[in-house]
Amino acid sequence: MTGAVALATGSVASVAPLSPIVAQVTAIEASLLAFVVLTALATAFARDVLAAVIVFGAYSLGMAALYTFYRAPDVALTEAAISAGVTTVLLLLTLAKTTRIDHDAVFESVNLPAAGAAGFLFAGLLLTMGDIPAIGSPDAPVWSNPEVTQWYLTETYAQTHVENTVMAVLAAFRGFDTFGEAVVVFAGGIAALIVLHREVFA
Amino acid sequence: MSDRVDDTDMTDTAIDDPSEAPADDRDDPTEDDVGDAESGLPSHRAVPRTGRLDSEDRQGVPYTESQVIMPTVKVVAPFAFTFGLFITFHGSGSPGGGFQGGAIVAAVVFMIAFAFGIEATRDWLANTVVVALAVGGALAFAGIGLVPVALGGAFLQYDLLPIPILDPVKYGMEGVEVIGIAPIVAGVLMGLFFLLANGFGSEGGGFGGGAPDEGGSIDETGSLEEGAADAGGDR
Repeated sequence: MTGAVALATGSVASVAPLSPIVAQVTAIEASLLAFVVLTALATAFARDVLAAVIVFGAYSLGMAALYTFYRAPDVALTEAAISAGVTTVLLLLTLAKTTRIDHDAVFESVNLPAAGAAGFLFAGLLLTMGDIPAIGSPDAPVWSNPEVTQWYLTETYAQTHVENTVMAVLAAFRGFDTFGEAVVVFAGGIAALIVLHREVFA
Repeated sequence: MSDRVDDTDMTDTAIDDPSEAPADDRDDPTEDDVGDAESGLPSHRAVPRTGRLDSEDRQGVPYTESQVIMPTVKVVAPFAFTFGLFITFHGSGSPGGGFQGGAIVAAVVFMIAFAFGIEATRDWLANTVVVALAVGGALAFAGIGLVPVALGGAFLQYDLLPIPILDPVKYGMEGVEVIGIAPIVAGVLMGLFFLLANGFGSEGGGFGGGAPDEGGSIDETGSLEEGAADAGGDR
């Protein structure tokens, strides 16, 4: 019937019953995850800002592929367009307008307190991993509760006459929130004008 | 286009560096490998740099024609633009929507600016267009939301929209996405791009250029007037 519902049910049907998480990781998924982690580390440790910006763009592209792999195409589109595309361009533009200090070393030296804080946070997040349901698990609360997710999936087409549940939630069920978000984007443009003491964009 | 050209310039400096390094610090030949924390300036900064990203002449000339990028963008831009419109208009039936589509459309403008020069793109896409996109989108979204209120319903109550023949719920949502969110996002992103391309502007009303020799808050009104005069003058 509806594309989004078919997509969502497809993701559940294709995943085998619960088994250890490692057994479910496919080669594509593992390589994407490794790529994302490596580019994230490279972004943090690259000494040259231009290199960091470019590697960050690659990281965003990897995240977009990962979102697509996890069947979140709306998020993947946003990540690819905004994060990999627009943000990289704006950062490059900023670099071109500022002085870039060039370095002989490729990687930043590790700041031990910062690394300790990051490691502490990482360990804390790892502790929560045990309670997260497996990817695509039919028992995951976000999927199995009939009051929220299933209600939206069944009622979207009946009430809003569109097939994309994500858009129905954004534009109809949570339309007022989206209006606020759009106004925030608009206000962001105005704020940039004010900060830069300008009255025209172009 | 300055950025991609500057990427290629990095190879120049990579070639330059070894030749400059022996001249500057003969006393410590290993310094280049270890780092430059203890000496004031790195060796390659002692000589004037030409053609570098941060050199004065390069800062003043932000555009160089590229025989590779210009034809590529000429071919890719129509397809990318169409894809952005498809993502926007087809958001109700497939992934995407106004936000993603607007961002892609803005990215097409960035691409054109990179290929054909930011100044040329700025002349082609006037400030009026950018502002009209952002303001028009915000007003359209608010209008679609307020019409049902005027008819006695709730904000964004699509089924009260006076749309003849077509389904008001579906096309009301499409209207929000297509003439509301997408123009806001596209306009604001293009505006941010042009703003950043102007930089903190020694030539305009920004506070970057004259900050060291002018007194901080005193000249704020002056620089604002300067910006206004700039706005009225050539754009």
